[in-house]
Amino acid sequence: MRLAGPLTFAVAIILSLAGVAHSQEKPLREIVNSFAEARNFNQTEEIVAELGATGDPAVVPVLRALSEGDLHVRKSDNQVFIVSGRGKTLTIIDPLTGEMVGEEGKRALSKIRVNNGLRRLIRDTIGGLALGSPDPAARLRAARTLISNPDASSLPAIEAALEKETDPEVAAGMMRARAAAILVSERPDAEKSEAITAVAAISTQDALSLLLGFRGQATGELREQVDRAIARVERVQSYWAMAQNVWYGLSLGSVLLLAAIGLAITFGVMGVINMAHGEMVMIGAYVTFVVQEIIRTSAPWLFDWSLAIALPLAFLTAGAIGYALERGIIRFLYGRPLETLLATWGVSLILQQAVRTIFGPTNREVGSPSWMSGAFEIGQLTITWNRLYIVLFALAVFAVLLFVLNRTSFGLQMRAVTQNRRMAAAMGIRTPRVDAMTFALGSGVAGLAGVALSQIDNVSPNLGQGYIIDSFMVVVFGGVGNLWGTFVGALTLGIANKFLEPYAGAVLGKILVLVFIILFIQKRPRGLFALKGRAVEA
Amino acid sequence: MISGYLARNGLEGRIIATIVLILAAGVAVPVSNLVLDPSHPLHVPTYIVALLGKYLTYALLALALDLVWGFCGILSLGHGAFFALGGYAMGMYLMRQIGTRGVYGNPVMPDFMVFLNWKELPWYWHGFDQFWFAMVMVALVPGMLAFVFGWFAFRSRVTGVYLSIITQAMTYALMLAFFRNDMGFGGNNGLTDFKDILGFDVQADTTRAALFAASAVALAIGVIITARITGSHFGKLMIASRDAESRTRFLGYRPEMVKLFAFTVSAVMAGVAGALYVPQVGIINPGEFAPANSIEVVVWTAVGGRGTIIGPIIGALLVNGGKSWFTGVLPEFWLFALGGLFVFVTLFLPKGIVGTLQDHIGRRREKRQAEKAEEAEAASAAEPTPVGAE
Amino acid sequence: MTGHHRKTSVAALSAALAMSFAVGTAKAEDTIKVGILHSLSGTMAISETTLKDAMLMLIEEQNKKGGVLGKKLEAVVVDPASDWPLFAEKARELIEKDKVAAVFGCWTSVSRKSVLPVFEELNGLLFYPVQYEGEESQRNVFYTGAAPNQQAVPAVDYLMDVEGVERWVLAGTDYVYPRTTNKILEAYLQSKGVAPEDIMINYTPFGHSDWQTIVADIKTFGSAGKKTAVVSTINGDANVPFYKELANQGIKAEDIPVVAFSVGEEELAGLDTAPLVGHLAAWNYFQSVDTDANAEFIDAWHAFIGDESRVTNDPMEAHFIGFNMWVEAVEKAGTTDPDAVIDSIVGVSVPNLTGGYSAMMPNHHITKPVLIGEIQEDGQFEVVWETSGLVVGDEWSDYLPDSRPLIADWRAPMSCGNFNTETGKCGGKGVD
Repeated sequence: MRLAGPLTFAVAIILSLAGVAHSQEKPLREIVNSFAEARNFNQTEEIVAELGATGDPAVVPVLRALSEGDLHVRKSDNQVFIVSGRGKTLTIIDPLTGEMVGEEGKRALSKIRVNNGLRRLIRDTIGGLALGSPDPAARLRAARTLISNPDASSLPAIEAALEKETDPEVAAGMMRARAAAILVSERPDAEKSEAITAVAAISTQDALSLLLGFRGQATGELREQVDRAIARVERVQSYWAMAQNVWYGLSLGSVLLLAAIGLAITFGVMGVINMAHGEMVMIGAYVTFVVQEIIRTSAPWLFDWSLAIALPLAFLTAGAIGYALERGIIRFLYGRPLETLLATWGVSLILQQAVRTIFGPTNREVGSPSWMSGAFEIGQLTITWNRLYIVLFALAVFAVLLFVLNRTSFGLQMRAVTQNRRMAAAMGIRTPRVDAMTFALGSGVAGLAGVALSQIDNVSPNLGQGYIIDSFMVVVFGGVGNLWGTFVGALTLGIANKFLEPYAGAVLGKILVLVFIILFIQKRPRGLFALKGRAVEA
Repeated sequence: MISGYLARNGLEGRIIATIVLILAAGVAVPVSNLVLDPSHPLHVPTYIVALLGKYLTYALLALALDLVWGFCGILSLGHGAFFALGGYAMGMYLMRQIGTRGVYGNPVMPDFMVFLNWKELPWYWHGFDQFWFAMVMVALVPGMLAFVFGWFAFRSRVTGVYLSIITQAMTYALMLAFFRNDMGFGGNNGLTDFKDILGFDVQADTTRAALFAASAVALAIGVIITARITGSHFGKLMIASRDAESRTRFLGYRPEMVKLFAFTVSAVMAGVAGALYVPQVGIINPGEFAPANSIEVVVWTAVGGRGTIIGPIIGALLVNGGKSWFTGVLPEFWLFALGGLFVFVTLFLPKGIVGTLQDHIGRRREKRQAEKAEEAEAASAAEPTPVGAE
Repeated sequence: MTGHHRKTSVAALSAALAMSFAVGTAKAEDTIKVGILHSLSGTMAISETTLKDAMLMLIEEQNKKGGVLGKKLEAVVVDPASDWPLFAEKARELIEKDKVAAVFGCWTSVSRKSVLPVFEELNGLLFYPVQYEGEESQRNVFYTGAAPNQQAVPAVDYLMDVEGVERWVLAGTDYVYPRTTNKILEAYLQSKGVAPEDIMINYTPFGHSDWQTIVADIKTFGSAGKKTAVVSTINGDANVPFYKELANQGIKAEDIPVVAFSVGEEELAGLDTAPLVGHLAAWNYFQSVDTDANAEFIDAWHAFIGDESRVTNDPMEAHFIGFNMWVEAVEKAGTTDPDAVIDSIVGVSVPNLTGGYSAMMPNHHITKPVLIGEIQEDGQFEVVWETSGLVVGDEWSDYLPDSRPLIADWRAPMSCGNFNTETGKCGGKGVD
């Protein structure tokens, strides 16, 4: 049986906690120091097992350090320490007391090596210890681990722990763990029948696989019951899968929206076929990289704020480049939209190569602040924090842009200039300045997108190339000159893509979406939200 | 003799000169490569022949694009797709010619199918062992695609950037499709390792020279077709649809049919260019469908001068020659040079090199004529004066 | 670091200019030219630029040692710009115009396929440094990267034996290397008794960046009660978003380990690896390997590139081995003539960076150790397993029906890249 080693082991600990077990034989420090003698992973495993068997919570920090690769042996006297810090000298800490012992050169220490198998064993061992932990959250985690990895031999321990449990939530968790374990045990059918009901109520993927596993050995009434339970869980699962797909679609759509929304201004509103748009996104991502690099070397405590700092800088940098681009090149090309394609294509080549020359051709590391890492669950929806923030950020950018366009005097001037340039000029609007500021705004928004995309994609000179075509599709699909079109277009394409993907695969799904766009444009030659009126024909 | 024939058919002198020049190159380059001793100063090395042959096919592609963009106002960002489809049709023929010389020695199936455990040749690969069939497909597949695509798009009156973007969507979708190994076109690797064409070794210098000459002839024919179309009544309609589509429609013409015809002819020309390209470079793969490639074709045409017949040819030769030279000489910096060139051309030569030159010459001629007229006027005005004055 | 980069670039620019002016008056007799055919722009520049720099370093070091045959080596760098037909054009230019003695280059399979006919026609030499799908052996090409049996098969063995994996996700980018590797692995796994329903195969397009659905599918597939692992042949660019998604959806190496064949130190340099600790990669070299030769190589690399944070990786080692093999073969033959080098290089054995020797085999593949490493927090790999001896690159896989009977041996008298042992003839099924 898989995981037999670690789990039996975890169970031994649990048993020891339940009061069935043996007394300590060797002092802890001696066992810990024996890590120095371990020649291979198997020997290390034995020592971990021995440590776990003590049932002493003091071993938890040792095991955790081992799992994280922070447990080292001092070569001179074979003493084992937890180390911290980076660089050539490391701080060494006593593994059991947690006191600082001093400093040691990296070369004088050798790391105790771990692999996945060991990490798994350590996790289970710590988990087993945690079933008796004073912290209810740790007990709940331990119970959950036991649901995912049920083992019949852990039943007595769970039941013992359940008797002592006072926290109702943890108790419920342990009840489920018990039910999961019963399904793989030799208990009588009546208990199993109860367990099926309890497991079916969990309705997760784990529960389903447990039931499916049990189905093979079930007979008679139990078989019928388990079939019904499976059907039920599958139904619940399919609803959640649908919801999950909508979420994925929204998240993809928001990425498209971010990438396209700057283009909706430069291309949609101003009519410039801006092939350098992707490079503005890339510049935003590189600004994030530079900001993080400076923070890493001079102010590491600011790291969680790095994106917040990068946002205005990316906006200003990309905006400034956009401004220069408009003043230097594009203003000579108004009225010749197709020529702007050529010039901005040239600019995009230059920007790409410039970034490649300055930052090198390889990917650059942009880290995620701690508040953007990981995921949380709503029911059975797994929502990753970074995706959630990107969705929210895309919505915020869109809202601000809408506000700027519709509620500020700059927005008014901008709309006036795009709708009737000569009349606007006659009314005293400085059209060249408005043009430049509009282009800078579009580019700046692309820079903002770059900050967000640096969290999910490569930060390399090719970053922009990956988004430029999709961005054009979104803007054209939504209807040139209309921000709402871009918004609806991005989300529609995102969700359509994600609903097609499970059936058609990632590639075919994308092809189908493209074909759909082509056909859609035949039906509505000016996109989803066409501008009406005589201005469009001009 | 040729020029006489062409002149009888009502072609301008400049066009005739171009055709003669292309055909002369089509003869001179291969001859110099095959006949002259390598140490001879006029000897053209084989790699230059291969290179120039490739440029000629690019020139034909640019000319095809110019027919729809320069003369008909349809900016296609998907012409690379027609080029690639023609290339794939030729590539499939060349693959079938490999026969048992593939690494696995399978007489029917190409190597990539063998090692992916395909059991039999897919239906759409049948017939490509025949040269004539492949040649029909070279024209038919891009032509049909353009016809169907254009039929829907032009009748729905999709114009301007919308049309450009959906042509881009088309080539992008095709690229993704051809990248799929399940399609049976060799996936990312495409078709390669060709052995011979019509029984001649594709790697032999003589074959290369013949392919070069064929490309030159194809380009010359392309020039004639373009010149004949644009010079005819139909050509006037194309320009009319470009400049004032609604007005043309109100005059009782059907601009969508004009566009559809031009688009289809252009796609066939692009397909032929692709078919000539493949045996000369030795590979066809989905990268040719990449939207960036199609944009590059637009760039060549613009650099040379759209709306002229010589412009796209000059543009394709110049930009690609520059690319080949720069990537060897300035491997780290050539993109700056290329990008800078595009910006420069748009800003300072908005009509492209040929267009600007034509304007310049035209202006000088006008100026000279104006001067002449002035002189004559002055002379005629001066004549009576002596009478009255002295 | 950026300052230095600019400086080298300026130096390179002036060198390039100087070179272009010097072409007319080149003293071709004084130097031996070596071509470097790696993309410096376009999508593959990410991976290939490093290899160009590595080659320049190796050539510089060789020149310090006095060059080859008493002549200095001269690098000829061109940029094929990730454009496959341009690879063929540039290869032709290098051999025909620049008359290089050997070319070191290519990364993707398609670029190799594109230049193959050129090398065959002009009788040039190509050293190809990247792990690839096998199913090829060409007289003019030396494959110094891993064949599938030097990377994929041992990695699967490791997962099966040590991690006890019973359920497999084979995830790859849709191109020939993953397709072939997965075909081989599928046949191999089934021969080891893995049921077809315990294998999930998934292909994604190049540069795929939205991995939400696929990672969730992997998670679901992995919760069927059997230990599951992912064998990833996902191509370079798509890996960063893939790993970011894995980390965020909380797939830990202890639960579902991912073993990758295209992820090395260079790819990890663009990632925060803390959440990825324990995921695996199989290579023939890791920067973390503790040998004197490797320490020397890394120091030389850092000194050459002027940046301590730049990493070394497996294809760089392949170039190191290939270059030294070429040097030794040329010295042995006493000439750079391709035919003589092709004859003399088989059997040449040079030190690799992992403490042993690699030898060129008659099939133009080399012997290598296979190492399995786990990703560490610092972006390096820690070796957790290695083969006891060297593994010979197997060009024709035994797990594909049509390639099983084929072998390659470029020594006289056989001198054949696809000799069929069943028919006893050269040329696949040997019909002609």
